[in-house]
Amino acid sequence: MQASSRARLFKEYKEVQREKVADPDIQLVCDDTNIFKWTALIKGPSETPYEGGVFQLAFAVPEHYPLQPPQVRFLTKIFHPNVHFKTGEICLDILKNAWSPAWTLQSVCRAIIALMAHPEADSPLNCDSGNLLRSGDVRGFNSMARMYTRLAAMPKKG
Amino acid sequence: MDDEYLSYEEEEENEEVDYDYDDHYSEDVGQVITKEEAPTSQVITKEALVAAQKQVLVRVMELLSVKENQARTLLIYYQWDVDKLFCLFADQGKDRLFSCAGLTAFDPCLVSSTRMMVMNCCDICMEDDLPSDVMTRMECGHSFCNGCWKEHFIVRINEGESKRIKCMAHKCNAICDEDVVRRLVSPELAKKFERFLIESYVEDNRMVKWCPSTPHCGNAIRKIKDDDGEVECLCGLQFCFSCLSESHSPCSCLMWKLWTKKCADESETVNWITVNTKLCPKCTKPISKSEGCNLMTCKCGQHFCWLCGEATGVSHTWTTIDGHSCGRYKDDKVRQMERAKRDLDRYTHYHYRYKAHTDSLKLEDKLRKNVLEKAVLNSERKSEEVFTNYIWVTDGVNRLFRSRRILSYSYVFAYYMFGEELFKDEMSDKEREIKKNLFEDQQQQLECNVERLSKVLEEPFDEYEFMKAVDMRRQLNNLSALVDNICKQMYECIENELLGPIQFGNHNIAPYRSKGIEQATEFCADICKSSS
Ligand SMILES: [Zn+2]
Ligand SMILES: [Zn+2]
Ligand SMILES: [Zn+2]
Ligand SMILES: [Zn+2]
Repeated sequence: MQASSRARLFKEYKEVQREKVADPDIQLVCDDTNIFKWTALIKGPSETPYEGGVFQLAFAVPEHYPLQPPQVRFLTKIFHPNVHFKTGEICLDILKNAWSPAWTLQSVCRAIIALMAHPEADSPLNCDSGNLLRSGDVRGFNSMARMYTRLAAMPKKG
Repeated sequence: MDDEYLSYEEEEENEEVDYDYDDHYSEDVGQVITKEEAPTSQVITKEALVAAQKQVLVRVMELLSVKENQARTLLIYYQWDVDKLFCLFADQGKDRLFSCAGLTAFDPCLVSSTRMMVMNCCDICMEDDLPSDVMTRMECGHSFCNGCWKEHFIVRINEGESKRIKCMAHKCNAICDEDVVRRLVSPELAKKFERFLIESYVEDNRMVKWCPSTPHCGNAIRKIKDDDGEVECLCGLQFCFSCLSESHSPCSCLMWKLWTKKCADESETVNWITVNTKLCPKCTKPISKSEGCNLMTCKCGQHFCWLCGEATGVSHTWTTIDGHSCGRYKDDKVRQMERAKRDLDRYTHYHYRYKAHTDSLKLEDKLRKNVLEKAVLNSERKSEEVFTNYIWVTDGVNRLFRSRRILSYSYVFAYYMFGEELFKDEMSDKEREIKKNLFEDQQQQLECNVERLSKVLEEPFDEYEFMKAVDMRRQLNNLSALVDNICKQMYECIENELLGPIQFGNHNIAPYRSKGIEQATEFCADICKSSS
């Protein structure tokens, strides 16, 4: 079983090398010693409070991958309704019941970027931020999210 | 004779014995034997499970002209409710019916024509240029390599999701063709897959349930009529088809659930302790009050006040009650205690009677065996008809058994019917009192006649000469008919007078059957064609 997930991850690895130039927003890196551990750097989408930030994701790939979804979480602090503020856990359907083996680590990154641009305020993991959005306080939400992006996701100047 | 006596059949050696007599006597005493009563339940043994499922599959296959695997997918989705399936089919059409269940009503010709155009690459393992014979296309049109399909099936089957294995493509809700699954996985796994599919017929089906026996007898019971009936499995277990616990009529399932819980947990004992004992404020040991005086003394020497539980001492003696708070709380506390005590008394009253009859039932199980043994031996020794044909004895013993059971459960019913737990606001106190008296009258009648029945059955009829035995038969038959009638009336009273006006809650009672709990007949594939 592991052999096939390994083969598939290896394919993805090669694909990533080729696509690196094609998708400048995503940088997927495989752990040197363990092909089941990956990290990704994704750019905050423009016209969102995350713009200008670079966010780090950690992937833990299960043995039955791609028949089972990878576990992904934010390593960089982010203020987002669907991300647990402390653990970085992400609430996203394709990482749970809507997972299909046709997804790749790369396409999961794309889905996460899409989630950053379009939060789901109704299934919040971060209640404060969910409440702000739901009560219509977009400004309040944006300023909080922006603040955390500046604090945690932007390289220090100088 | 009636199937009810099947179990004694082998004991009846002289089968040619006048059947006229049974019928004659049954009618004579006016027993409610409705012979036209069709069976309402069937036992499906492990071996017959496939056939039982097949029978339904074939119906759907024929009516909708679909393949077996499609029929199964539909039936699993619609929980084996064929009537619902046909209704939906008539109302919404085949396409809607299919797409909801995850089936595509694709024309296979269309699929194969598009096939030429796709390249052989698998999106899962990301292999390109695969030979087309290692690719498999599902009916939804999605195509992946056999290796990936196989692993997908293995993971899903091991996760217990056999019944609805979805296509691997994103957002595709199609259910994989079971033939493809069987073809690609190992024989052992295919067997497991098969078992899940077969068991779905029981597990997803409202009208079929596993017999709750432990250890499991392997049988399932299918209800033909949707009533709240009780049923007896081939293994002998009698149970309530709705809640799967032991048969409990005339209690409703909820009443029975509450009762078993109440009897199991210690809350009532705890209650008793709070009512009848107080903890010593110094050593905290429980002390019970045996005299009228409210000034208590613990073994440890501590004095305290029974009413408020607080220590009495130099400044808190019973005569100088400085700072003692019991006066203020007394009314409340006493009322509370009285209430708890009343509840407990009530429970004890009903539980005592329930338990007494349940215990009698156990003793009478012995009696039943003795009596039957006696009857058999006797029938071999003597030649008079009253001895050779001892159906009147088995009749009497069975009647005793059934009515004793009902009597025992009637106390549980009464506990909830006239208590405050379930029906507090359903009737006025006066109404409650009237109904309670009505029911208790019936209960008393039943109780007294059940005891009479029990007593008659203990008579040494094997030592009787002919005339005395005939007299006992007459007595027994009459009593039996009387008890049957009282039971019937009790059920009618429950249905019409007591539960009938109740507004809230679902309290269906398994109907009264004069002949006792129905023994499910064994399902045989060919017999069933006619009944369905
Ligand atoms: Zn493949
Ligand atoms: Zn599909
Ligand atoms: Zn059984
Ligand atoms: Zn029940």
